[in-house]
Amino acid sequence: MNFRERLQAWRYNLVPDHLVGEILTKRWTDNAIPFLALVATLGVFGSIIPGFFKLTSLQESTRQLGEFSLVVIGMTVVMLGGGIDLSVGSIFALSCFSAVYVFFILEQSVWLALAAALATGLVFGAINGYLVGYLRLRAFLTTLVTFIFGRALFDILVTTYAADVQLSQASSDVLDFIGDGTFWGLSVSVWLAIILAIVTHIALTRSRPGWHVLAVGGSRRSAHNAGIRVRRTVFMTYVFSGFCASIGGFLIACRLSGAGPGTGLNLEIMALTAAVVGGVSLGGGRGSVIKGLMGAIIVLTMTNGLIRLGYGTGTNQMVLGIMLAVAVTIDIRWLKNRHKVLNEVYVAPVYLKMGETQSAAPGSGTSYELDNRLSAADHIGLGELEGPEDVILDRDDHLYCGTRHGEIVRFFAPDYVKSEVFAHIGGFPLGLAFDRDGNLISCVGAMGLYSVSPDREVKRLSAETSRSWTSIVDDARLRDPNDCDIAPDGRIYFTDSTKRYDAHDWALDSIENRATGRLLVYDPKDGSTKTLLDGYRYTNGVCMAHDGKSLFFAESWACRVHRYWLEGPKAGTAECVIRDMPGYPDNINRASDGNYWMAWLGMRTPSFDLSLRHPDMRKRMTRRLPQDEWLFPNINTGGVVKFNEKGGIVEAMGDLSGDAHPMVTSMREHKGYLFVGGILNNRVGRYRIEDADPNWTSPASYWGGKP
Amino acid sequence: MILDPILDVFRGKAVTIPPLDGAFRPNTRLDDAPAFAELSSPDNLLPAAGRLFVSSGNAVFAIAAGSEPVVVETFASTVTALALSPSDELTVGLESGKLLIAGKEISLPAEIRCITALAYADDGTLWLANGSAQHLLSQWAADLMKKGASGSLWRLGPGGIGFQKTAGDIAFPYGLHPTGSDVLVSESWRHQLVRFDGLTGNRSTVLTHLPGYPARLSPSADGGAWLTLFAPRNRLIEFVLQETHYRRDMIDQVPPAYWIAPALASNRSFLEPLQCGGIRTMGIHKPWSPSRSYGLVVRLDNTMQPQFSLHSRANGTRHGICSVAEQDGQLFIASKGGDCVLSVDLASGGF
Repeated sequence: MNFRERLQAWRYNLVPDHLVGEILTKRWTDNAIPFLALVATLGVFGSIIPGFFKLTSLQESTRQLGEFSLVVIGMTVVMLGGGIDLSVGSIFALSCFSAVYVFFILEQSVWLALAAALATGLVFGAINGYLVGYLRLRAFLTTLVTFIFGRALFDILVTTYAADVQLSQASSDVLDFIGDGTFWGLSVSVWLAIILAIVTHIALTRSRPGWHVLAVGGSRRSAHNAGIRVRRTVFMTYVFSGFCASIGGFLIACRLSGAGPGTGLNLEIMALTAAVVGGVSLGGGRGSVIKGLMGAIIVLTMTNGLIRLGYGTGTNQMVLGIMLAVAVTIDIRWLKNRHKVLNEVYVAPVYLKMGETQSAAPGSGTSYELDNRLSAADHIGLGELEGPEDVILDRDDHLYCGTRHGEIVRFFAPDYVKSEVFAHIGGFPLGLAFDRDGNLISCVGAMGLYSVSPDREVKRLSAETSRSWTSIVDDARLRDPNDCDIAPDGRIYFTDSTKRYDAHDWALDSIENRATGRLLVYDPKDGSTKTLLDGYRYTNGVCMAHDGKSLFFAESWACRVHRYWLEGPKAGTAECVIRDMPGYPDNINRASDGNYWMAWLGMRTPSFDLSLRHPDMRKRMTRRLPQDEWLFPNINTGGVVKFNEKGGIVEAMGDLSGDAHPMVTSMREHKGYLFVGGILNNRVGRYRIEDADPNWTSPASYWGGKP
Repeated sequence: MILDPILDVFRGKAVTIPPLDGAFRPNTRLDDAPAFAELSSPDNLLPAAGRLFVSSGNAVFAIAAGSEPVVVETFASTVTALALSPSDELTVGLESGKLLIAGKEISLPAEIRCITALAYADDGTLWLANGSAQHLLSQWAADLMKKGASGSLWRLGPGGIGFQKTAGDIAFPYGLHPTGSDVLVSESWRHQLVRFDGLTGNRSTVLTHLPGYPARLSPSADGGAWLTLFAPRNRLIEFVLQETHYRRDMIDQVPPAYWIAPALASNRSFLEPLQCGGIRTMGIHKPWSPSRSYGLVVRLDNTMQPQFSLHSRANGTRHGICSVAEQDGQLFIASKGGDCVLSVDLASGGF
């Protein structure tokens, strides 16, 4: 091994590249960018403005923040519903004026002023909602119109009544408390914002109306098809936004004891920027109240900070505009490309130097030498079956196999022409085994371990094991349960091939070659599932030894077969019995002569073996080429290999033409015949074995003669 | 997008190849065509006065409808190129680097070791394409994988002053089509057709971005030409060509037959590389899947623009076509990877 190769081995086996992809699969990564922006903004302004974090300064800022946050919460809900509300600034201002008018000019109580403010907000919100929701006008233009209209109205009213407000003698302790007082150190506006944020958050994430808003924003048509009243939902979002803006308006009326021409000016742009910067998607359906609040803090810190640094309104507007542009760009590009980024970084290959192997080429003279015998096999279910990964026969000689449609199909003896769907499970039924009572146990890819009783009742036995401490993606879930076998005491030993890929992407795991395969055991007595072994390169077939004291399991991508001891001095440990095979082992089953059959799903190729020593090349390959062009192991040629108790190879056979059985994933001996299945094949093969015991059956070998 | 060049640094630039579209739109004409003659690795077809010669191994055969191929002449090493002089002298290039005209060995400059194509111009000039200065023709894959560009173009003028080099630094010239005093050369590793000026040796590209590796050219009756492409371009292979370390290790450690490299035939051994798209699923080998070998013959009009093409797709067998010959309204196609010569009736048209 030269220095470069050693370096590659260290680099790719010690640096956990795969974690990047796993983190990106988490939904909270959407929050990461606004959160970092928040930390950066606070950090920058906190350090360059002296006394930025002083209590008095914070008090004033948070009062403003409370009012602003209320408006942003409303805006967030509208945006989540797929709309936009540009009129929040004018509603805010008009509500403020209503409160001021009722309190100072009509000299009514504060509560009546609040009611007037709320009424103003709700009426304007309802107008928006009616136009956008029920009349289905464009949200942008409609709210722009209400914004202009509302603003004009406010300007007229303010100039008309400004003097009267100034001269008014009205005063109230309640008003002063709401405007200037604090409660447990926080001003009323902050408390209100916090309460509203919590209520809105719970409503959005945990209530029916909230889900409806998200559904409508995510896909209007789907929501309609799902029976959601789309128009009413949209209407309600605008009403809610008006409500939020009116509370904000009331609060500022209390704080300033009046209304001026500057009230609520540019608020809509600030609120929109806050929501978008926080990560609420303009397209609707994606975002949260928390994101809106993060954006509100960022925007307010930025604008206040700039003012305190001595920059004028122009600069402020400019910065807001730039922030909005950047946030919108990131929002759209990220949303569009997130899955691409994930695809590109998810496959994180590791280094592996495969051992030298004996040749399996015809004429090589080794015990692995493949021939063309399997091409002579009869076919069962040709053209009807899709993807019989495993095959099994019961005591009455009927044949069972899984299909990629999630069904277990039964072919009737003796000619296996007639068939029926024995049970529908879903997922992709892979490994099969009969237990003592004749229940069919199946490892179902992407689902878990299932049992089908003789009267076709489907029962889930296990879908999870215990989670490991260091996992980022939940590895308790069984991702690719592959094959199972049953010990004499009834415990089911099965493999979960990989933690990294779903069952239908199993072949991708060979490109990455990360050792994440597990051997697990399910105990029917207490229904528990335990992980016995972890860290194998695609654990696959499992087979109880004839004496029931140990089991064999295949490690596909490493081309090895291991023996795991159930009892005896080595109980609980595994040892490698066959290593460096020229093919990738799949299922293992008993043979009538005391040996074992092993399926080869594919063959090693020199070019792929070499690529395993070039993880950097494989990584670039996954990034630069579409998946159809990736280099794979040669899984177009497989075979069936017989090995003995000690791991010695007895014989091997294959279908070199590739016409009938290119990939072999399983085989089951039954009364002198070998039944052959392939996960990507369209048939089950039946091959007559010479010199086989014509009476031997697998159920009898496991559970004795007919009961 | 405008940011792509910056992002490419992090994510890797996509490897792309020209699509099979327009004149290259796939069909199954080559697989549908009947076999005219079956013999192992037929290479260079040569129509001559009512007969049809084809080189195979170290022999030249004469083939005719309804009869077995007949050996015309055998040579000491593999025949790599054939041509017929205006005075009907059989001109043969050999793997050993020798050139025979009517059985007489012609002395060649030392640089010529890889005779890939021979062609006589109307004035009797013999054009010779020397594929590589480093590799023999049988080692063409090594020349490609080592990014060889040491091929050269030679002429033996009428009058016999010996071979003169017209141009060098050609990335595997594999086909010749003399037109007047110029010659059209297929430059395989650069996927293009180049016209060389017969007097000055100046080059100008005629057809670029071919979807495969061009091999020999042959004239067609109406002034156009037939172009064969002996292997398809493949994105994995183009990617490997950019992977220095992997490619070097592959050349050093992997037997050439199992390289990630173009081939004249594929899927013959389980030791060959397989790409994801080439996996047999439910008994089907997808015809559009990426493949190391392909069968492709292209008809060029008299401005050397492609008009239509004949294909044997990834799931076909008539792959590795290095030479075609048009004779008496029939197009004969030698499939080196498919071990047969096909005939297609041109008169019936239907292309």
